Amino acid sequence: MTPRDRAYALFPWVAAAVLIAGVVHLVSVLLIPHVAPRDAYRRLLERAKSGPTASGAMLLPRAVPGVQALTREDPAMVAGACVFDLSKGLFHVRASVGDDEFLGLSFHAATGPIFHAVTDRGANKGKIDIVVGDARQIEDLAEADEDDATPQETRVTAPGPKGFVMIRALAKRPSDAERATQAVMAVRCETMPAEE
Amino acid sequence: MRAPFDKYLAALATALSGLVLGLLLTATALDEGYGFAPLVAGPWVAWPQTGAPEIDPYARAAVAKRGEAPLARDLGLVFVASADSAGAPLDGRCDYRLSAPVPAARFWTLEVATGEGAPVANAANRHVLTSAEILRREGGAFEVALTRNARSGNWLPTGAARSFALVLRLYDTPLDLTAKPNRAAFPAISKLVCA
Repeated sequence: MTPRDRAYALFPWVAAAVLIAGVVHLVSVLLIPHVAPRDAYRRLLERAKSGPTASGAMLLPRAVPGVQALTREDPAMVAGACVFDLSKGLFHVRASVGDDEFLGLSFHAATGPIFHAVTDRGANKGKIDIVVGDARQIEDLAEADEDDATPQETRVTAPGPKGFVMIRALAKRPSDAERATQAVMAVRCETMPAEE
Repeated sequence: MRAPFDKYLAALATALSGLVLGLLLTATALDEGYGFAPLVAGPWVAWPQTGAPEIDPYARAAVAKRGEAPLARDLGLVFVASADSAGAPLDGRCDYRLSAPVPAARFWTLEVATGEGAPVANAANRHVLTSAEILRREGGAFEVALTRNARSGNWLPTGAARSFALVLRLYDTPLDLTAKPNRAAFPAISKLVCA
């Protein structure tokens, strides 16, 4: 065999290896959000299971060197979270907002994408009132409405049954941390069981 | 008799090398940044699509791997600088000065972080400055000293880290994401002296 013949004989195998590499790469990238053992949703779920369950948000420890509930959080923010599962019913989040105090709520699907977000600026008469459901639950809610009544709450359709809400309140200076903590703790998260 | 076994061996080697190559490719793709379309302004880089519903698969994988709940685009934007305005990597042995302006935002915070995004350990236990506590000169301009040793005025310690990154978070910002950001609207980072 000349070197040239050898190269010809090798070529199909190399092409196959490159093809396999491409498929493995794409599949692994698409799979990671579903199987990553330490993604934000699983970290919060673990924390929610070990801590006391109340209707209030669960407070996350402030980001300091070495301790991070979630990575890349702002150390100036006091953060809290609520984990939801829509198979148990609609999920209701309520918050009151202060005067020019930053409060941000973001709604994350378990697999990553953010499907809704609101700051204190988006509050209606000082209140944030959001109901999360899947497409069917939101539709049922709309059907149950009186014809001419506008709903008090914002209704949001979630892309999947599981996810979490991040609650972040800015501590403008270190002495403001106590107030920001209170603001996060005051956010109420409730699952409303479906009426049979 | 020998020939078929050769083929099996070659098939196995091909499948294995494909698998390893594919996983290596994934690891390198997720190692830095978040997929595609970063917003770049001088040394400052942001990945606005991580906070949007239409996040691409690479960014999703990177976020999941890091255990991060990204900041929603409607809440704000996160810019990270790991180099100074001249393009040299931020070195823990050097003193830096960060100077105004900061793009329009209702609030902003500046953090000294490690390359992985954790706050940098330091004796003073200071990790972040907010727009509310910053000391400004007449006219609104300001400077922040980024040094190991304490300074008067606006100061953030860089701790004992060999290298670090600066994280600028803009909350409630009207910044236009469709246009290329104006570099002059972002803080300049200048190297002063190195130990």
